[in-house]
Amino acid sequence: MATGLVDSWTNVDKFGAVYPFPGSETLMVLLALVVWLGWHIWQIKEENAEFKADVEKIKGRGGVGKVLDEELQREIQD
Amino acid sequence: MDNELSSLSIIFMEFYYWLTVALMFLIHVGFCMYEVGASRYKNHMHTLMKNTMLIPLVTVTFYLFGWWIYFAFVNGPGIIGGLAEAPFATPWSELMGTHMGGAPFQSTLSADDTAFWARINGVFWAAFLLFSWTAASIVSGAVIERIRPSAFWILAVIIGSVTWIIDAAWGWSWNGWMVQKLGYHDAYASGVIHAIAGGFALGVLLVLGPRIGKFRADGSPRNINPHNPWLVTIGLFLIYTGFWGFYVACNVPIIDIYGSGVLDIAGRHFFSATNIYLQPTTLSAITVNFLMSLSGGLMAAYIVSKGDSFWTYSGGLAGVIGASAGNDLYHPVQALLIGAVASIVAYKMHYWVERRFKIDDAVGAVAVHGYAGFFGVVVAGFMLWGYPSSPFDSYAPITPWGQFIGAIIMFFVLGFIPAWIISKILHGMGLLRIPREIEMVGLDIDSEAVRQIEADEVAKAIHAEANSGA
Repeated sequence: MATGLVDSWTNVDKFGAVYPFPGSETLMVLLALVVWLGWHIWQIKEENAEFKADVEKIKGRGGVGKVLDEELQREIQD
Repeated sequence: MDNELSSLSIIFMEFYYWLTVALMFLIHVGFCMYEVGASRYKNHMHTLMKNTMLIPLVTVTFYLFGWWIYFAFVNGPGIIGGLAEAPFATPWSELMGTHMGGAPFQSTLSADDTAFWARINGVFWAAFLLFSWTAASIVSGAVIERIRPSAFWILAVIIGSVTWIIDAAWGWSWNGWMVQKLGYHDAYASGVIHAIAGGFALGVLLVLGPRIGKFRADGSPRNINPHNPWLVTIGLFLIYTGFWGFYVACNVPIIDIYGSGVLDIAGRHFFSATNIYLQPTTLSAITVNFLMSLSGGLMAAYIVSKGDSFWTYSGGLAGVIGASAGNDLYHPVQALLIGAVASIVAYKMHYWVERRFKIDDAVGAVAVHGYAGFFGVVVAGFMLWGYPSSPFDSYAPITPWGQFIGAIIMFFVLGFIPAWIISKILHGMGLLRIPREIEMVGLDIDSEAVRQIEADEVAKAIHAEANSGA
């Protein structure tokens, strides 16, 4: 079993690519693209859900003005 | 040193390792910030000093016996041979002092020894010393807020100057028995620093017990939050910065692989950077792989922790650690993906172990270093299956089973077991944990009281001055 082209370092001056699974570069680039783009998509969806929940919480506490007043009171007490 | 080119080569190597030492200092600045931030305010000064004082203790003991162990223990001893000779590394060796490379006055050394080691011994010792500090610092974070400093400092010496350097002799040297017989490959120390330190921390934690208030009566954990989460993340960021020095120090900057120090083939030359096993790599490759594995770790940890700053930064570190075993050879995208998986493993395992076994690891050190490091060693066995572990063809190749046995040796044999035994002894002597009253009020009780008294005195003096009309 060998994942790379290197079976001995004796002829090290003849070697080029030494990483495992040479020939799979296109697949690896595609995987990197999937990771990158997939992360952005995940982040946008998560952010949408988080902001929606936070806006509901603010409404549930009586609106922006009420929340800001409560925070000011807390700061004064601190 | 009578030839300019060879002198330049030697002094370049000397400077190279010196630079890595200066960079690796930042790891310890980072650890101090990280642990101080992670602790509650009532303990923060003791936490700082606990981490700080491992530095001189590990330094002195590494001088006294750590450096010698690295060279002397390559065969076990008693596994493939006896103790190896290392007259340049004993604390009484003339080569441990300032030396210009001329003929030795000590009979244990030869002229070749002094010519080679005079300019390299000190900086090489120092680079390894910084790794030793790192091993001990990793343990330091897990045990904050309840371990006695004196107990921790004994444990720090054990991991910093004994057990990790034994594992380095075995599996992180050009001729260690694990490399020869198991094909063990761990270029940037997933196992030899991180898995062993994580295993060691777990061994201590099992005996030390959780902080008071960590677990509810039903066994569910509470979060004991850092008093300064910003300091924690900046500390981790500094650890990343210092990690650059770590990576670079793991390499030999330039060596002739066909030369007399390695394959000794007449008429051929190939000058290259190598890893510690004297296999060729490039600084360029490890630079890209470090960044890609860090990125994979950060991105994956951000997702699993839903953007938690502590776990995102910790995940970045776990990513680098997870890919480190093979980052000399991986393709950058392989490093990215391995880093991502390593950080998920660290995060999930931390919380599973916490819930299942009631282990209070204050900073996730066992997970980020231990589990991610173990994972990294094992993954390298599959990714690099069949690669030679050394330029010397008689050595075993890299295999999944060789790597798995290696990971077990690192995490359990040299990490967990010695830590558990020594912690049990310290605990039996009543020396492991601070008194309950002090843990509840805070380790900094005395210094805080003095600060308060002094602040009051200054305030009174100012008032008196103001009221005197002067």
